[in-house]
Amino acid sequence: MALPTDASQPRLAAGCRWGGTGEERVILFPEGAIKLQGTGLQVLERCDGTRTFGEIISELQKEFGKTDPEKIRGDIGMFLEQLQRKRIVDY
Amino acid sequence: MISNPLALIAEVTHRCPLHCVYCSNPLQLAGTEWELPTAEWTRVFEQAGKLGMLHAHFTGGEPLARTDLVELIAAARGAGLYTNLITSGVGLNEARLQALVDAGLEHIQISFQDSREEAANWIAGAKAHAHKVELSRAIKQQKVAFTVNLVVHRQNLDHLEEMIAFIEQLNPERVEIANAQYYGWALENRAALMPTRAQLENAVATIAEAEKRLAGRMRIDSVVPDYYAKYPKACMGGWGRRLMLINPSGKALPCHAAEVLPGMSFENVREKSLEWIWRESDSFQRFRGEEWMAEPCRSCERRTEDFGGCRCQAFLLAGDAQVTDPACSLAPRHERVQAAVEAANSQAAVATPVQGTFVQVQKLSGDLWKYRTNPE
Repeated sequence: MALPTDASQPRLAAGCRWGGTGEERVILFPEGAIKLQGTGLQVLERCDGTRTFGEIISELQKEFGKTDPEKIRGDIGMFLEQLQRKRIVDY
Repeated sequence: MISNPLALIAEVTHRCPLHCVYCSNPLQLAGTEWELPTAEWTRVFEQAGKLGMLHAHFTGGEPLARTDLVELIAAARGAGLYTNLITSGVGLNEARLQALVDAGLEHIQISFQDSREEAANWIAGAKAHAHKVELSRAIKQQKVAFTVNLVVHRQNLDHLEEMIAFIEQLNPERVEIANAQYYGWALENRAALMPTRAQLENAVATIAEAEKRLAGRMRIDSVVPDYYAKYPKACMGGWGRRLMLINPSGKALPCHAAEVLPGMSFENVREKSLEWIWRESDSFQRFRGEEWMAEPCRSCERRTEDFGGCRCQAFLLAGDAQVTDPACSLAPRHERVQAAVEAANSQAAVATPVQGTFVQVQKLSGDLWKYRTNPE
């Protein structure tokens, strides 16, 4: 499988949803849950199936003004690819 | 400070239309008249949600044997739990599937016994395979995550590649390839189920190849048999650490097999709250933490990873629930596991030919294994 492209629209895969309470947000999937905070949380909150990967990246690049934009793209692409292999995210 | 349990395993019944020879249910099955009623289960799910549990895994027996399953799923989902149904699919048609999904079912896991219909029915002791295949198509039409579970052992490992190809065309998001674990009926049938080392080595390579090929399409989780491992499994993620199982009659257990342990009594959810059982009961504290450990576990650096292995296996194989799991290569009683492994490797694994009618084949298999019975 490949990294997401600019036009990909990442979303939670079938059988995966948000859970947890207020401060402790988790993504529930069939055999477990991942606790999300920081950048991971910011990325997945935007994976709504509507925003494109390109849009998500540019939103986050604004948030992290000082970080190298290509590094942001690379890191987030890899993060999503890992979750896609685990069948938690689709794009 | 004890952290909260993560998931509830709801063993809602021991009744089952299948008679799988590798079933890990206890030999002593709970009868229908002891089963918790709907209202009690509903209260259990509410308590589980409040206790911060995330998942409710419905299992059995066959959960579909409960006529109130739709209500139970709705109650668990209503309590905020992620709902997972572990099933043979027998007792499920499209209308009931739809009702379960409408009630909030999020994930369904169907067990397959083999890719070949006759062999699958032979292992299950029931003609269920064709129905499962048909049902898998209906599941794919639903908004629910789909996992195929395949239990592998001596009698089917020789065609693992074929079985993976078969599962691929059912198109689940996940497949779990689990080696039979020797509890309950599977322990009774261990000699017929235990693979040879050669079978396992081939399986590891086959699975690695399939994982690579299917990455991003189908996730493969595999469970290696602990008899062949160097260190034991972290059974249930540690006793009383992550999971609570409620059996059909309402007993709260730290694991599927705990009732075999002598001298222990388990609380019933009809009398005590889940929170009290988790925090206060003797049974959940019995093997929690490290205090109970003997050597070599006590001073072993792996004790925080595998928690000394499985207490039930320690009792079943070494006669003492306090000792190191004999699956561990460091265990004083490791020879018990070695002997079983040696016996499994003393003969080549030749699958017993499946010939004749369904009834004939079952009868002829009487010398090979015992089929799981049903509760009274």
